[in-house]
Amino acid sequence: MDEKKQTKLLDQLESGPWPSFVKEIKKAAATNPAAGDLLGQLELSYEEKKVHWKHGGIVGVLGYGGGVIGRYSDVPEKFPKVAHFHTLRVNMPTGWFYASDALRTIYDIWERHGSGLTNMHGSTGDIILLGTTTDQLEPAFQELTQAGFDLGGSGSALRTPSACVGQARCEWACYDTMGVCNHVTHHYQDELHRPAWPYKFKFSGCPNDCVASIARADLSVIGMWKDEIQQDDAAVAEYAAAGLDIQKDVCDRCPAKCMNWDGKKLSIDNPECVHCMHCLNVMPKALRPGKERGAIFLLGAKAPILQGAVLSSVLIPFVPAAEIVDTLKELVSRIWEFWDEYGHNRERVAELIQRVGMAAFLDAIGLDPVPEMVAAPRDNPYIFFQKESDGSNGDDKG
Amino acid sequence: MATFEVDGRSYEVDEDGFLQDPGIWNEAVAKDFATTESVAEMTEAHWKVVNYIRNYYLQFGIAPMVRKLCKETGFKLNQIYELFPSGPAKGACKLARLPKPTGCV
Amino acid sequence: MVPMETTKVEGQPRKRITDIGPPNFEKFLHPLIKKNYGQWKYHESLGPGRLCHVAESGDRIYTVRAGSPRLLSIHTIRYFADLADKYCGGYLRFTSRNNVEFLLDDPARIEPLKKELEQAGFPVGGTNNAISNIVHTQGWVHCHSAATDASGIVKSVMDELHYHFTHQELPGKIRIALACCLNMCGAVHCSDIAILGIHRQPPVVRHDLVPKVCEVPTLIASCPTGAIRPATVDGKPSVEVIEQQCMFCGNCFTVCPALPMANAEFDGVSIWVGGKVSNARSAPRFSKLAIPYLPNNPPRWPEVVKAVVNIVEVYAKNARKFERMGEWIDRIGWPKFFKLTGIEFTRYHIDDFRFAPLTFARSTHIRF
Repeated sequence: MDEKKQTKLLDQLESGPWPSFVKEIKKAAATNPAAGDLLGQLELSYEEKKVHWKHGGIVGVLGYGGGVIGRYSDVPEKFPKVAHFHTLRVNMPTGWFYASDALRTIYDIWERHGSGLTNMHGSTGDIILLGTTTDQLEPAFQELTQAGFDLGGSGSALRTPSACVGQARCEWACYDTMGVCNHVTHHYQDELHRPAWPYKFKFSGCPNDCVASIARADLSVIGMWKDEIQQDDAAVAEYAAAGLDIQKDVCDRCPAKCMNWDGKKLSIDNPECVHCMHCLNVMPKALRPGKERGAIFLLGAKAPILQGAVLSSVLIPFVPAAEIVDTLKELVSRIWEFWDEYGHNRERVAELIQRVGMAAFLDAIGLDPVPEMVAAPRDNPYIFFQKESDGSNGDDKG
Repeated sequence: MATFEVDGRSYEVDEDGFLQDPGIWNEAVAKDFATTESVAEMTEAHWKVVNYIRNYYLQFGIAPMVRKLCKETGFKLNQIYELFPSGPAKGACKLARLPKPTGCV
Repeated sequence: MVPMETTKVEGQPRKRITDIGPPNFEKFLHPLIKKNYGQWKYHESLGPGRLCHVAESGDRIYTVRAGSPRLLSIHTIRYFADLADKYCGGYLRFTSRNNVEFLLDDPARIEPLKKELEQAGFPVGGTNNAISNIVHTQGWVHCHSAATDASGIVKSVMDELHYHFTHQELPGKIRIALACCLNMCGAVHCSDIAILGIHRQPPVVRHDLVPKVCEVPTLIASCPTGAIRPATVDGKPSVEVIEQQCMFCGNCFTVCPALPMANAEFDGVSIWVGGKVSNARSAPRFSKLAIPYLPNNPPRWPEVVKAVVNIVEVYAKNARKFERMGEWIDRIGWPKFFKLTGIEFTRYHIDDFRFAPLTFARSTHIRF
């Protein structure tokens, strides 16, 4: 074994009960020298406690401005096989569903054109084909599209939209998250591949929010119902008989305190329900979302860079399921128009709203303010009163 | 540092083929680099985009935002990709000799 | 769009295809899922990592969930594909937390599949009140701005928390996430426990490179505290960093390669707690600082592992049924959290960025 193949530190991560990424790299390295050099460079990082990738890298496939993450080693003389080690983001099938043959197709292509390493999946939800050289990008891309797969978004492009499992395998999905996500992804192919704005859309079927849209998406679409929780009293009784303490574990945990259990009958004061999901999570057989279903639209989540992290906040409290796609497109076009005029480079929608003010933003996109949008009205008196058309100061024209 | 050679001329470039020395740009240089970005011939339309980007950079020190580029040159975004198949960031900015665009790229 | 030129792939002239988007998911759905799409009635747990979803039609689809290291070789992907063929007609999916799920219509095959997965080293679990897989970033494997590795810490932490992946005995769910720098690719800022790579030294300004590789106005605008200012160095335009104003976020390096941040001696890891994304019971919220700095100590980051395991154990012992980390801390108060976990409270725990006063204790509600 030559010197650079010795990986004494990484070898220690092969043991233990959790599956080992080092074993995976070694498996790939058995047939692919780039994976071997990746292991070598990673060992160097472990020895020196320092990253060994150069800054940035801008490579891609023809006609696209995103979908490939360029990487170059800063020690290419030691690890020539990872001198270029670019990543292709491949747009996953919505919901991350696969048939085994589809996986084989993708990874046969990747065996021919890349390192044989992958992430299932990356933080954006894409299939990450980890590490190849510049000259392999275009052939890999062409084989992928021949096989029916396309690249996802990166950089300043619309990021690959993602959705929870939704109606494919979840009784709580209040709209067809996968259908909507797939439709939206195809509708915005231009914006995904040719960066126009750096937004993220994520679709969760219920307020459990399994794709973390409220924390991560500029536009968070979260399933919601408007009518009464569907209740099966016999099933409630079964849970009670099976030992569930309905008073303590369900009613006392309800944030709206809208549930009452008299030992026989569970009653819910539905207009008081805040749709948190706790009671449904605890008694999935007995309680289900209502029948009038749709989604709540929230706007603006982002990580801390630049002026602090933001969670999405309520924009439209309820959109009926059948109107979600049209509402989304209309909303995006109005926000896009405003962003085109006033947005700054790299600015996420929350930052734009912070800069211009939510009220001005609502004016611009033509939405009326509603109390559901705020946790509380302002507590400072610094109000930008608008000039009325008659010249007097008045309240909001609404 | 790598070099890019064309017709006996030699340029110092980074690994993505971006010209290192900001001082040596002229139209002949842009033409030389066009060959690396799948631009067969620099037409009037190509120059319109490159010159706009170049002048914007000289004035403001940054690359114009994509939508501004479209608005000011009158090209739609997909037309810019037709002119520069590797895109405005990689292709057009490289020919206009701007610093390599950064971010989560 | 690029013209549909004819190109050669594997010797065959083919039309160049672009902008087709992802394949429609419908063709990858198990027939039972396709049949009962939108018609699911309820689900039940069959034990850790095993779920049964029941449709209005009475059909049942069974899920077996196994943990993966996220970074996989094609050989393992093929192994998963073979397992899917062997047990469930080839139908599988992955979860938002990098687990693999096999979808079965025959309950008799659940245990043999589970056994085979476990023998191959892929633990079955991650459901209900288990600790599911850690969502994480690339770290030193593939990122240029990483202040720490991701996969190595995740492996080391999950080796110790493995029991909680394969068992559902915790009071509530614990979602752990790791990001290797403040860019936070992934929802780490809303996790029960977040492991975050941090720098603690200002960037080094490479004045020779700034004019060559940087858009200076973009660089100046990238700093949240305005610590970067234009400066002329050796007659050339560059920038200076007001070091007292630098809080080491690394965003300047993101936009300009001439300001490297990586520092082997000072980079490390911080730990954050109590965030959540779900709306169940309490509203979604950010994670708060628990430990400002732990050293990078590869290959197994023992200090980080110990800190995370400690927080999990104290939570498991003290939280009430259904309480997430943040809800538990709401009930007992932060002073008690620090007391119970033995974590030192320092000046770094007190916010001094924008809106900091909103995080101060603005009442006399104090427990003694």
